[in-house]
Order: sequence, then C-alpha cells, then structure tokens
Amino acid sequence: MDMQASTRVAVTEGLIELAAADPRVVLVCMDSATVLKAGPFAEAFPDRFFDVGLAEQHAVAFASGLASCGMMPWVASFAGFITMRACEQVRTFVAYPHLNVKLVGANGGIAGGEREGVTHQFTEDLGILRTMPGMTIVVPADANQVREAVLTVGRIPGPAYIRIGSGRDPVVFSRGEPFEIGKIRVLERHGDDVALFAYGYMLQRTMEAARALGTIGVMATVVEVHTLKPLDVDGIADVLRRTKAAVTVEDHNIIGALGSAIAEVIAEHAPAALARIGVRDVFAESGVAGPLLDKYHMGVDDIVEAARLVVEKKRRQ
Amino acid sequence: MVDDVKSLEEIARQIRADVVTTIHQAGDGHLGPALSITDILVALYFATMRIDPRNPSWPDRDRFVLSKGHGCVALYAVLARRGFFSSELLPTLRTLGSPLQGHPDVNKTLGVDATSGSLGHGLSIGLGMAMAARLQSREYSVFVLTGDGELEEGIVWEAAMSARTLDAGKLIAIVDFNHFQSSYPLERNKGLLPILPKWQAFGWHCQEIDGHSIGHILEAIRIAQRESRAPSLILAHTVKGKGVPFMEGDNSWHKRVPTTAELNEALAALGESG
Repeated sequence: MDMQASTRVAVTEGLIELAAADPRVVLVCMDSATVLKAGPFAEAFPDRFFDVGLAEQHAVAFASGLASCGMMPWVASFAGFITMRACEQVRTFVAYPHLNVKLVGANGGIAGGEREGVTHQFTEDLGILRTMPGMTIVVPADANQVREAVLTVGRIPGPAYIRIGSGRDPVVFSRGEPFEIGKIRVLERHGDDVALFAYGYMLQRTMEAARALGTIGVMATVVEVHTLKPLDVDGIADVLRRTKAAVTVEDHNIIGALGSAIAEVIAEHAPAALARIGVRDVFAESGVAGPLLDKYHMGVDDIVEAARLVVEKKRRQ
Repeated sequence: MVDDVKSLEEIARQIRADVVTTIHQAGDGHLGPALSITDILVALYFATMRIDPRNPSWPDRDRFVLSKGHGCVALYAVLARRGFFSSELLPTLRTLGSPLQGHPDVNKTLGVDATSGSLGHGLSIGLGMAMAARLQSREYSVFVLTGDGELEEGIVWEAAMSARTLDAGKLIAIVDFNHFQSSYPLERNKGLLPILPKWQAFGWHCQEIDGHSIGHILEAIRIAQRESRAPSLILAHTVKGKGVPFMEGDNSWHKRVPTTAELNEALAALGESG
C-alpha cells in the first residue's frame, strides 16, 4: 500500500544537480556505485567519479586529500563501512582538519539492511559520529528529503554525514519539503501530553502512533529531528518544557543517537519523563523490513505503549 | 632554491642541530625518526619543491605529506629555516598553545599540507591531492614521505593499488628505510621484506637510493618527475639517528630526550661550537 521511493536514487539525483552547478563536486565510491544507483553520476561526470575499489579506509583518506586541495568529495557506501571500517580516517583526516568531505551512508538501521543481516545492518553509525567535533549529521526521512538534504549539505562547508536506507524506502513527505539543517520541525501537534521525537523512515510509524494515541485520549506532538548534530537544543527543550514527557523513535541502537541526545537535553535543560524506542542494544537478524522492525520493538504498538506509560509516569511525578 | 649539494649538506647539518636542540628544550619528541629523514626534507624543501613561504596556501604549490608524522620535528625545523615561521617557535614544540603539535596539524602550522601522525595514511591523502591537481588542470607534484614500519598498515596497499589504477604520475613516494619501527627492527617482519619488489608488482616506478646522499635524492626525484603515468616510489636507505654517531642505529633514541651532556656531545658531533 505504502508508496516507496529510493533514497539511493535520490542521492544520485541530488548530486548530479549539485555537480552541474559546482565544479568542486566529485563522487568517490568503493565498488558501491552499482548498489547505490550512482551510475548516472558516473555517466554525467566521468572525470569526477572515482571508484577506488573495495578500500573504504583509503577512500576516506583519499577524499581528505581531494578536499584539502579545494574539491568537495562525496564518499558513498554502506553506513558501517564508512563509520566503522573507516572510522579513524573520518575522525582524524576529515573531522579533525575540518575538511569539506561529505559522507553518505546507506543501510542505516536494521530496516536499512533488512534481509542482508547484521553485517549490513548498521545501528551504530550515528552514535559513533556524534562524538566527532564539527561533524554535521543528518538523517532525511525519505527520498524527496534526501535530495533536499544533499543540496543543503552541499552548500555548507565542513564535514557532514547523510544517513540513508535500503533503497526501498517509504515516502513520508511530498516533494519540496523544507530542509533546514540544525532545526527541529514540529510535524503534528495534537496536544502536549507527550512529544514523539523521530527521524528517518521511522517518522511514518511515529505519525501513525500519534493518531492511534489520539483515539485513547493521549494527545501527542510529533517532532522531526533530522539533524542530530548540531542538535537543536533550544527547540527540543522548548517542546520538552510543554510536554514534560517524551518518546524517542529511531532505527539505531538506543545508545548513542537520538535517544541519548534527547536524554542529554532532558538531563541538562528540561526535565521530562523519557522512553526510548530503538534497537535495544542487541544485534538483529535478516528479515523483511516491516516485520523486522516490529520484532525488534519498533512497531506502532510499541510506540503507543511507550507513550502511554511515559505519560502515566509524568502524571505520577 | 639552493642548487649546490655542498650548501644543501650544510643546511642539513644545521637542521639536525635544530632537531636535537628542539627536542632537548621541549623535553619531548621523536629524535631518531627525524634525523633519518633530514636529508630528504632538505632536498625537497630547498632544492625541489615549488613553494612560496610568503604564500603558504598558493594553489599551484607542490604538496608534501609527512606520512610518518612522528618525524615532524625535522619538518618543523625545515619549515622554519625555509621561512614559513620563526625558529623561535621550535622550543614551544608539544606545549600548550603552540602551533607545533606533537604530530603535524594542517590548521595550526604554516607550511604543513596535511594532518598526519596516525600511520599509513599519507599515500591515500597524497593521491587525493594528485587527483585534485588533475581535475583543476594544475601541474603540481605531490611528495609523500613514509616510514618503513608503516608499510605494515593495510591502507598503504589499498593506496598502492589505487594510485596505479588512477595513473597517478604526479605522486612520488619516498620510503625512509631506516630499518627500525617503534620498538623493534624491521627485519623481524619477514613478510614485509624485500620492499621494492612489492611496489614493482603493484606497477609503480621504483628506485633505490642512499637516503643520505643529497645528490642521489635529487637525481632520483628528477627521474621520478619524468614519469607521466606510473606513480613513483623511491626506497631511501637511511640510518635512524643519522648525523649523531652515538644515536645512529640505536633504536632507544626513537623517542628519547637528550640530557644537557648528550645535547652538547651531539652538537659537537654535528660541528656546532658551544
């Protein structure tokens, strides 16, 4: 029933648009161009396309060299191969010198890697990158927003990471949604009983949960946090001061990414009751995306129940 | 540019004196690894590279990546004598607020083209710089100086493959073959030796020279710069601690600070009077 559109195709479309206007843009792949649907970029800009082979560490350090001489390399592969295999290269040779290297990580989350299994499902990428100074981290919700994110990230200097999914991604927003880095977006405000913070394709389930909550008298505010860094601390704290109860929803380990980020804001700026929906610090398994998310406690019912309990907790306090 | 070998050798002697003095004054730093690369750095910075100390970010300048970043005291001394910054900064090495970090930082030290220190990365970075030159139709060369021990890093061989595939003729790697890594002789790693045939097998243009003969270094660089397609590798035989007899070939000087008496003995050996 749900409409789908590939976030991978959207990256390539965005990059072609960006490269047409900006001669600094180059694409670096590691035998990843086929799965990432980057062929059209290579055809449009053959001189500005590098496939360095299965060599992620080299690819990131290579991009560092390109950027240090004025180019804007985009490095695209699977999320974990960039953020884990090439973690040190990202940290020391991209983030530390604050170079204009853009990273695109596919298969973010267990749904992102779905049937491939744990080796290709990445639930650590955002947590790892959040600890690197100066790194911009964004997770667009769907293909349309990915395209906007590519164009927006291409306009800001410095290192950035865009997390995308499987290539079979639900459509969450219509084309042309605004994408302002570093700002949350309140998508739905049914009421201030609880705030549901989410990013990526999990927004679809989150908005569904908000509607279900309404039928049992719990009025939620749905907030998109597509930029995990720099985090919109003021915007998040404002929402938390109204609701005093929050649920984070993400396809990532509950340690390190949105769940941790909101917990940090709660602890330092705006006390609130909190429940975290996400991968509960386990390794998942192969499976079709929808049932896989359900099995690992990221279903609509899980969000609804977590919200109901957190509101009860708030009322007891 | 300095074009006679005798003058370059004199500069190298002064740089070595700067290195031992700086590490003594700062109380920290890698001595042996700096002394083995001094002649190579002098040949590059005083007689080869197109650079302008008054315009350190000149886009057409030749690039240099010290992949063995721990040898940076020699690089700092060279950059100071070449006019990128004052020699008075040298004793601030590794101290709070100093532009001279423990390992090279592209954003803190004028004349440094790449952050380095975590071993194995220089060739990949240098290859990216060489491809940027190609995309921007610039003519600069990229020189990467690696240690011998760091050739054990896997990323080095990723770069070796990639550079040949990309026909990176402007990329020139020099290996400081001083026969020691941090804590033991390179010969312990039987799989790494011999070094040169491996690079030949990867399709690189290869030369083997005496890394303390400035004449040989300059000649090898000239030959490498004539290569238009294959990346070049110059295996430079060196001696860790070169120039100070009691440090030569003694790996305890990898990261040891000379006492005042040892400093004076070293300076005397280098022909520096008091």
